[in-house]
Amino acid sequence: MRLGLARRSLSMFPPILTRAYSVQPISRTSISPPPASLKPQTPLFLRPPTHSATISDLLKWQKWAKTLASSVGSHFTHLDDGPDTTLLHRELNWLLQDALENPKLPLSHVGTNEVVKLRAEMEDLYVLWKQRIEERRPFQYVVGCEHWRDLVLSVEEGVLIPRPETELIVDLVGGLVKENEELREGLWADLGTGSGALAIGIARILGPFGSVIATDLSPVAVAVASYNVQRYNLQDKIEIKLGSWFEPLKNVKGQFVGLVSNPPYIPSNHIRGLQAEVAKHEPRLALDGGSNGMDDLLHLCHGASSMLKRGGFFAFETNGEKQCKFLVDYMQKECDGSFCDVDIVSDFAGNKRFVTGFSGP
Amino acid sequence: MQLEATNVLNPFSVVVLPTTKARSVFPGFPLLNPSASIKPSGDNPLPLQKMSSLILRRSSLLSRNPSLSRHFLTGLSSSLSKAHSHHLLPSNHGLKVLASGCHFPANNITGSSSVSVGTSKFSCGSQLGIINSLCGRLFGSQAAVEPSTSDGLTVEGILANQWTIFEESESDWKSHASAIAQSIHVIKRRLQWKSLIVRLEMLSAQLDKPDLWDDPVRAGKISREHGSLMSRMKEVKAFEQELLEHIDMIKLAREEDDADLQSESMKALLEMRRSAKEKELEAMLSGEHDSCSCFIEVQAGAGGTESMDWASMVMKMYKMWAQRHGYGVTIVDEMPGEIAGIKRATIKVDGEYAYGYAKAEVGVHRLVRCSPFDSAKRRHTSFSAVAVIPILGDTSTHVQINESDLRIDRFRAGGAGGQHVNTTESAVRITHIPTGVTASCQNERSQHQNKASAMTVLQARLDQLEMARQAQMNAQHTQSLTEISWGNQIRTYVLHPYRMVKDLRTNYEVSDPDSVLEGDIDSFILSFLSSALDKDEDYS
Ligand SMILES: C[S@@+](CC[C@H](N)C(=O)[O-])C[C@H]1O[C@@H](n2cnc3c(N)ncnc32)[C@H](O)[C@@H]1O
Repeated sequence: MRLGLARRSLSMFPPILTRAYSVQPISRTSISPPPASLKPQTPLFLRPPTHSATISDLLKWQKWAKTLASSVGSHFTHLDDGPDTTLLHRELNWLLQDALENPKLPLSHVGTNEVVKLRAEMEDLYVLWKQRIEERRPFQYVVGCEHWRDLVLSVEEGVLIPRPETELIVDLVGGLVKENEELREGLWADLGTGSGALAIGIARILGPFGSVIATDLSPVAVAVASYNVQRYNLQDKIEIKLGSWFEPLKNVKGQFVGLVSNPPYIPSNHIRGLQAEVAKHEPRLALDGGSNGMDDLLHLCHGASSMLKRGGFFAFETNGEKQCKFLVDYMQKECDGSFCDVDIVSDFAGNKRFVTGFSGP
Repeated sequence: MQLEATNVLNPFSVVVLPTTKARSVFPGFPLLNPSASIKPSGDNPLPLQKMSSLILRRSSLLSRNPSLSRHFLTGLSSSLSKAHSHHLLPSNHGLKVLASGCHFPANNITGSSSVSVGTSKFSCGSQLGIINSLCGRLFGSQAAVEPSTSDGLTVEGILANQWTIFEESESDWKSHASAIAQSIHVIKRRLQWKSLIVRLEMLSAQLDKPDLWDDPVRAGKISREHGSLMSRMKEVKAFEQELLEHIDMIKLAREEDDADLQSESMKALLEMRRSAKEKELEAMLSGEHDSCSCFIEVQAGAGGTESMDWASMVMKMYKMWAQRHGYGVTIVDEMPGEIAGIKRATIKVDGEYAYGYAKAEVGVHRLVRCSPFDSAKRRHTSFSAVAVIPILGDTSTHVQINESDLRIDRFRAGGAGGQHVNTTESAVRITHIPTGVTASCQNERSQHQNKASAMTVLQARLDQLEMARQAQMNAQHTQSLTEISWGNQIRTYVLHPYRMVKDLRTNYEVSDPDSVLEGDIDSFILSFLSSALDKDEDYS
């Protein structure tokens, strides 16, 4: 299988140097069990600090990397809304932090001949930064993690990097479970869990009896999500299942008190024009929502009412105002009264982003 | 334990106890500490054995020396008398004690233990100079007893004697005593001794009110402040007391020709002299919020890239200063200039007394140099404004923020967002709608953390606003960036045509701008703090 090949060892810590393979979309019908070789990568900041470099070498690299980032200017921004120099400089600092054994160390205060411990080889740092700038490999794949809410989630090629907008779903759920014991102690679903972000974020705010089942069609996502669940020691609270949407949940139909999903919602023909970090590097399976981007959202809409208990909550992320309105309309007209209190919620950028509501009249 | 046994047997040992308390000075701020040889707290200047043997000796001395025993009683009473509890003195102690609470008039002391009760407040201490009589009046109303040696020497008396102060190495008790008395003088001034006492009296009165705990938050605040001011006052008093005791001991040792006791006491005086210097520094940071962490904000003045570059130099100076002192430094908010430098930035400085020191930097900093951004290399003058905001540790003093009063915006947002965009930029700006105060953070790696971090900035800004509102009650507050007028210059940095940095408030100057810009600003801070506190001559 292609994915397995992409992960073949190249050096001591191969995955971090994995070239930015564009993961090919997995056909929706070919659900195969995860290959045995599917071992999630360890994010840079969790690797053992078995390498070392002198401060002066490190500073040299930093200077080189900074210059490379400076050469970008606002070129990427004009091109496709990509990162500008300021942002790249900030990312450079974070890369350094993740690579250093002791990230708090102010480099300027250490003698240049002193040696520091690193989590990657010096050469790797050069390669990684080149990938970031020249191939537009997403920063989060470069360091193997994404900071999301108060979590640090492992991510890698083949898994969507969770977005800041999505954090808000956890806040919405948080507001509800605080006041409602049934929701707090019940069973939740995160459909298309990717890195496991929503499932983990929600599991951490549920009560002692609350739990989450998360599903994904992508074996890489399932592997990475499981890894993240273990990192946060939530394996007793979160179950990860491989399969398409509701399919793996047949035996728990009607038992959910809550259902959240951030399904693929980008119209197919938009994908090519997206920012290089997204279009060239993130999995198409995670983005492509069909011709108008609504395929999966509508599918979820249909299934939701039979999955949820009466009074159960749902929240879907959408592409924006158009999809929100369409969905609300659809629910009110086509789903004859299976939902109530349907609402549109905006994100911090002011975009109408989420459709929320409850099951049952 | 022997010491405890002596305590039980001999109530006079009470007066010795305060000396065992050696508070560690400047936690988290080793570099400012003038002497490297500071003892860790708990390391008693007098070993326990020696202490107790001293106490035993004293008690035997006391029985032979009535004037000394009166002194000890004075010490006992002053250590027992809290601002409002002088009447708690035992009534059956068998010795005459001043009931009026006025201190012992120096000219009245004849070695007898009886002192008239009706001594006029205004006559007492009149021969010891104005300061003393001022104190006399105050203590009179406070009903505290001015401590003195057996022959009536008080700390003010020592000051008035103006004994020459020699080097520490000189074994001269008068010199040591004089140096210590001067330090006590400085400390009292820095603590604003008189206001402290007035405030304590006011707080005590409030604490005595029966309905105090109807408002538990306010009550907690009052009792905390009372406690902290009280301990501050007691510490100084105990220090005074200790000085006088050692002087008594030295005199006694001379009378008795006891070389051991004399050298013991001389050593103790020297110890005191050294720790007095530390206490002076410590007293400089006795403001309500001085021990807090803080935010430092720098904003570039008009003048384009040159001035934005200057702002980033100033910010770098503070970062390096903070790092030198082992403070944690985090960039919270930074708006870079188009070509170089910063338009504005906020850093968080974490550690004890960060605010106490950094507050000395508030104001406008001016740079004169040939600009590297000017192709003609002309001389430019630029300005940066610096604001410092304390991060209140005591959450009960925080201004309450209603979630519904907040508007949260994604910074630099545009376009479709969501799955369309992959960016590590997740800055948010929080606006407190009722006040219009905003805060933003973009240097955290998640939106959630940026929001949390911006919230702490917003909280501190609102707290500062509230403090400004209460400025009359709450004497000290530093200005926010918006309040600082560009006319309010505090320091000039000249790199060309000559080189110097000069503080316009203190006239303190140095000729090495590079080291200053690398964070070596302690001497500026200290000279400002001491000048600000020391100009009040009479402890007001
Ligand atoms: C936009 S990503 C969201 C990932 C994650 N929930 C997040 O918010 O970061 C959509 C996810 O849905 C998964 N997905 C796509 N088609 C699916 C299907 N038919 N059944 C289950 N999951 C699917 C993708 O693999 C991807 O992980």
